[in-house]
Amino acid sequence: MKSLQLILAFLIVPVLVSSSTKHDYYVSVTKIEYVKAQQSLQIINQIFINDFEKLLRQRYDESITLDTENESEVVETYMQRYLSDKLKINVNGASVSFKFIGKEYKDDITYCYLEIENVSEIKSLEVTNRILFDIFPEQQNIVRLKLLNKNKSFLLLPDKDSFVLNFD
Amino acid sequence: MKILKYFLCSFLFVSASTFAQNEIKPKRKPGHTNQNKFKQLYDEFATPNMFRTGSGAPGPAYYQQQADYKMDIEIDDVNAKLYGNETITYTNNSPDELKYLWVQLDQNMRAKDSKTPLISGSGVSPATTSARAVKSYLKERFDGGFNIEHVKDVNGKDLAHMINRTMMRVELPAVMKTGDKFSFKIKWWYKINDHVKDGGRSGYEYFEENDNKIYVMAQFYPRMAVYNDTEGWQNSQFWGRDEFALPFGDFDVNITVPADHILDGTGYLVNREDVFTKDMMKRFNQAKKSYDKPVMIVTQAEAEKTEKSKSNKKKTWKLSAQMVRDFGFATSRKFLWDMMAVKIGDKDVMAVSLYSKEGNPLWEQWSTRTVASTLKSYSRMTFDYPYHKAISVHAPMGMEYPMICYNFGRPDKEGKYSDRTKYGMISVIIHEVGHNFFPMIVNSDERQWTWMDEGLNTFVQYVAEQDFGEWNPTALSSIHNAYPSRRGPAKNIVRYMGGNQDFIAPIMTKGLNTYQFGSNAYSKPATGLNMLRETIMGRDLFDYSFREYAHRWMFKHPTPEDFFRTMEDASAIDLDWFWRGWFYTTDYTDIGVKEVKKFAVTANPNDNGKRLADRYNMDPNDLVYFVEEGTEGYDEAMKTAASIDDIPTVKEYIMDNFTPEEQKAMKNAPKYFYQVTFNKPGGLVMPLIVQYEYADGSKEKVTYPAQIWRFNDNEVSRAVASEKEIVSITVDPDLETADVDTSNNSWPKEVKDSDFDKFKNKVKN
Repeated sequence: MKSLQLILAFLIVPVLVSSSTKHDYYVSVTKIEYVKAQQSLQIINQIFINDFEKLLRQRYDESITLDTENESEVVETYMQRYLSDKLKINVNGASVSFKFIGKEYKDDITYCYLEIENVSEIKSLEVTNRILFDIFPEQQNIVRLKLLNKNKSFLLLPDKDSFVLNFD
Repeated sequence: MKILKYFLCSFLFVSASTFAQNEIKPKRKPGHTNQNKFKQLYDEFATPNMFRTGSGAPGPAYYQQQADYKMDIEIDDVNAKLYGNETITYTNNSPDELKYLWVQLDQNMRAKDSKTPLISGSGVSPATTSARAVKSYLKERFDGGFNIEHVKDVNGKDLAHMINRTMMRVELPAVMKTGDKFSFKIKWWYKINDHVKDGGRSGYEYFEENDNKIYVMAQFYPRMAVYNDTEGWQNSQFWGRDEFALPFGDFDVNITVPADHILDGTGYLVNREDVFTKDMMKRFNQAKKSYDKPVMIVTQAEAEKTEKSKSNKKKTWKLSAQMVRDFGFATSRKFLWDMMAVKIGDKDVMAVSLYSKEGNPLWEQWSTRTVASTLKSYSRMTFDYPYHKAISVHAPMGMEYPMICYNFGRPDKEGKYSDRTKYGMISVIIHEVGHNFFPMIVNSDERQWTWMDEGLNTFVQYVAEQDFGEWNPTALSSIHNAYPSRRGPAKNIVRYMGGNQDFIAPIMTKGLNTYQFGSNAYSKPATGLNMLRETIMGRDLFDYSFREYAHRWMFKHPTPEDFFRTMEDASAIDLDWFWRGWFYTTDYTDIGVKEVKKFAVTANPNDNGKRLADRYNMDPNDLVYFVEEGTEGYDEAMKTAASIDDIPTVKEYIMDNFTPEEQKAMKNAPKYFYQVTFNKPGGLVMPLIVQYEYADGSKEKVTYPAQIWRFNDNEVSRAVASEKEIVSITVDPDLETADVDTSNNSWPKEVKDSDFDKFKNKVKN
């Protein structure tokens, strides 16, 4: 845990600050919660809107603008495609795909809601998160887990992009 | 006798029950110093003195230094260099003798040997772009430091000086006594940085099309440091993040640029006739009378034509400013220019924008209007804007100087822009124009206390944004019925307040050393002030006190204590507990309902009642009994059977002691009795805001002042009596206190949908 804290400390030191602060570090947060009553693995993915927009423009379509109003319908299709590509989850050793429930914008952040259904139990969980590594070398992805009454955090980097947890 | 007995009874009951709950442990605890959250702030605050009083106002011996500048500046546009020659006249108003002066050389932060890059941690990234690799490992650092050619006295004699990175000590030929003036000259040049590539709060942005630059210049001249009663010389090095401390003075500045440039900056344009065309003059005179919309001084068609060629001639713009702490200017041949008038008090102020075609259509529509709106809001919250103009310049940053500021917000190449871009631009303009008030006029020490200008400014920014939305409904998108402010409302700070304590610093921390700069120095103080205004003090008391602070310290140098003390001095509200918790610690708010006990009133003693009566040797028939639900002697029928005035002893007592008129004036008799225990897992004390909801659907909000926590910082109980049955109790129902965990805020405990379920249900419907 110590190394995570250290890295985080650097992360939060801004590269440059203007008098009205914009975000000045590259980080995404993915919250994963297992709700046994619903047999569901619920994922909320938080990515800075600016970063996500830049990514979608570069990777798919220059004309994309992320906006609550007048947003092109392809945006969600591309978001879904990108997240399925970069966020891989294995439950009990088998790869599972998630349903893209939708997304919303709050302040500077895009919240994407993803769900894996029919998860009756979790013996092991493997998460690989390469979100935004393709355009920001400094990108860091934090994964916060809440399952089986435990909270755990992982910091994923380009050279260490996954973790495995076994519950026995 | 009856009265005394009744009184005694209630007293005895309380103490008896207290005893029952708090068993005294025989072991003696060690003693302690005053750890109370309401302890006065004498340990933290500087002792008041003749310079700064206990009321928070400047004292009878208050003084401040003055620095006046005469400067000749020239920009070499081809090579991007700035040349300058200045005469500084320094006045020593302090009671102290000065042997030397300190001058700030902020550009040395960009010098090749600057230590700024060496204080950031770094690591090797396993994969990176070529551009980044070259920048990190191959390219020499851009050398943008000052080249000081000479430092001389007015007779041309060299003055001994020493440069310690961003600070220069100039030796005085003779000691300066109180009231002495000393003039000296500095000649310098430096290479101007590309602020888009290399960062910075000053520099140029390069446009490949037609090979042009937009210069937004600041910290471009050696500037006097502040000398005052609290710091002596404020010569703490400039590392690049924490901003500036500057004395007031008068400026006469001649700036020579290519003849086809448009330039504006701090101060009056003295030679307008020389630099304006006849058309521009005519439009300028129209703009002075246009209060509802901006008038173009340089149109887009004209700017687009100008930027296609380059003049070999030069032109000198002369600016003169009085009582400013700094000087900035912007210049380019790409500039469009518009202005409108805005009435502030009985005076006309010009709201001005400089932008390039890249900023349109957003800038022509909203920049100048936003400037005008901001000046009105801030003048209402503080004092009438004392300068004659305020300029917003289009540049990809957000930075403020007296009368001029540089703001981001650019549509894409087709001129399309998102809501984010639009609101981002309006907010940054409000913020940076607002900085004219804090710290340009209420001149706090930014190097030391970022929050004193950023926090106060972000607070007023919130008020001004809400005004802007109200006054310009067409600027809002259809999904918004008020301006979507990012910072201000208490609920927006919760994520920060509840975050990892390892990466949170108290607000009262030097700006350079804070984690999460934006949340620490902007959002948290702004939210704190908003909480004082909306919840703790109320708008009238807060606004009066805040204005008093602004008036007291207008054109002066305040410290944190001056602010804290004035807010209390002008309002008669003791806020030491709030300053201590919100500004000096990283404590957070978490208040909840721990337990609710229900009681019914009755004349029939249960066993417990009988025992108490017996113990105190009272006649059981003289007492009123409250029986807790679920305990011995309670039955459901009691719940609705009696109001308190149905009990014979109470009836007797009332009839014997009160006239019929007095009886009529009494409150309606309650039937339902509760003992509610509130707990406080969070370290912050806050007012306890409670909403009681009754069986008939009506609601009542009661605010218990923060002082309710003064004897017990962990929990407190209240007896609540009501005519109607209470069906639910909610702490902080309107999310006013930044409570980091609302899962314990309700009774009965509410099972709330998770964020995920909430969103999923929303999508379904």
